[in-house]
Amino acid sequence: MTDKESDATETESPVVLAVDNEKRVVQAFELWLNDDYSVETATSGQEALNQMHDGVDVVLLDRHMPGLSGEDVLEGIRKQGYDCHVAMVTAVDPDFDIVEMPFDYYVSKPVDEPTLQSIITELLELREYEDKVSELYRVCQKITTLEAKKPRQRLNEDERYQELLEARETLQATTRELVTTREMSAFEDIFEAKQ
Amino acid sequence: MVSSDSSSELQISTADLDTPIQSTEFFRSLVENGSDAIVSIDQNSSILYANQSVERVFGYRPEELIGEKLTVLIPDRYHDAHFKSVDDYLESGERSIDWNGIELPGEHKNGHEVQLSITFEEHSYDGQQVFSGIMRDVTAQVERADQLERQNERLERFASIVSHDLREPLQTARATLAVAQAGNEEALDELDEVFDRMDALIGDVLTLAKQGQTVGEPQEVALQDIVEDSWSIVGTEAATLETTPTLSTVDADPERLRTVFENLFRNAIEHGGENLTVRVGTLSDTAGFYIEDDGSGFEDSATETLFDYGYSTKKENTGFGLSIVEDIVRAHGWSLTAMTGADGGARFEVETQ
Repeated sequence: MTDKESDATETESPVVLAVDNEKRVVQAFELWLNDDYSVETATSGQEALNQMHDGVDVVLLDRHMPGLSGEDVLEGIRKQGYDCHVAMVTAVDPDFDIVEMPFDYYVSKPVDEPTLQSIITELLELREYEDKVSELYRVCQKITTLEAKKPRQRLNEDERYQELLEARETLQATTRELVTTREMSAFEDIFEAKQ
Repeated sequence: MVSSDSSSELQISTADLDTPIQSTEFFRSLVENGSDAIVSIDQNSSILYANQSVERVFGYRPEELIGEKLTVLIPDRYHDAHFKSVDDYLESGERSIDWNGIELPGEHKNGHEVQLSITFEEHSYDGQQVFSGIMRDVTAQVERADQLERQNERLERFASIVSHDLREPLQTARATLAVAQAGNEEALDELDEVFDRMDALIGDVLTLAKQGQTVGEPQEVALQDIVEDSWSIVGTEAATLETTPTLSTVDADPERLRTVFENLFRNAIEHGGENLTVRVGTLSDTAGFYIEDDGSGFEDSATETLFDYGYSTKKENTGFGLSIVEDIVRAHGWSLTAMTGADGGARFEVETQ
């Protein structure tokens, strides 16, 4: 992450890697997404794995490809530890075998521009949510650790402790907001289903 | 007139029936001539009685069964369960299985299994406990149900694959159109090819769905004629057809057989490469014929997946050609095998035995 931030040539927009063995398909994805994202393309599974890097935020991945299949690429991405989100964009009807596949989203072809946009928006929000929750966890850990060791008065006097409290409040508000915004409707479904 | 007091005159009381139904002959006839097989056993599973219908269902004459253990009519794998079930019932009085219309297989005298729907009864006779099974042969119904289930599965797979194969080019068409709209004129020309491919797919799917499963009345067909006809339709100048002079006749639906050769020839030409020779001949050790080429063979493709719906190593193909071939061959009652030929090319053998 710090590498990416310090890299002057890196643009601010999120990076999407589109993978499909049909050249026209990845070209169209690029056209549709170019305004908001930095789009990279690959027309084979092997090419996709060669092109993967830490800066990729979302991968759009075809399943049925000659040579390395989408499943193989997905496995490779996870094995190499990239923390990007992967959407399978495929004409293959989902069967129970998807249970074993570590993707984040599954959509049936043909997809159009609005569908693709909303998938990416959702996956990027998921990413943001995950980051914020991790950060919130870290802040809370520090607060608990300090509270166990330091007397109340010392805590109240310490500016750094006060900053932690503020950070916790902000992060709690942000994560709560992320879950309840309209775009995160899928998140609401997740919590609904749990009840 | 006569009906002035119908209630007393027309009603038949059970007392009136007493005479006929008390006659042993009435019962014997009812039981012997019923369409269901009836077998009665004692507590040790020895057969006390079997009616005439056992011969139709099990192949044994009733007198062959009297005194035998019931297990002669039960497949081996159910013997232990049978004895346990009887013992448990005698001990506890509790029925561990449904006594009314349970479906179980029986064993025919000649060894094959018969699907039965069985109802059990018990009564006391001569101071001993007697169990009877009233058994109906439901083999035909069970087979029909199995067949329907297989057909449903096949249809489900078929629908899923067809939808996959149409979605893929649909995505390509949509993408190609988007690229064309963005100013790339070349992309527009490609749309034609995409539509051709979808058109070919729909054609193949219809062939499979409509005709794949059935063949017309078979007639004697000269293989040589069918082979030449088919080649004239799909053959190319880059490929040569050779036939052995011994090509005989087969009993086949000529139209369907032509489809077989057309698809196999097309398959050879598309996958075989340059300067291809396709050879058709008669099988030597069994009745049938083969189609072989000297191309690159199946390479890495597993031969068992060749005939699957939608399987193709080439993106522009529908992957239905060999499925169609297999369906037609099967519908004729023949068998089809794919193997590597003498020259390392693809070889398909059709056994017509």
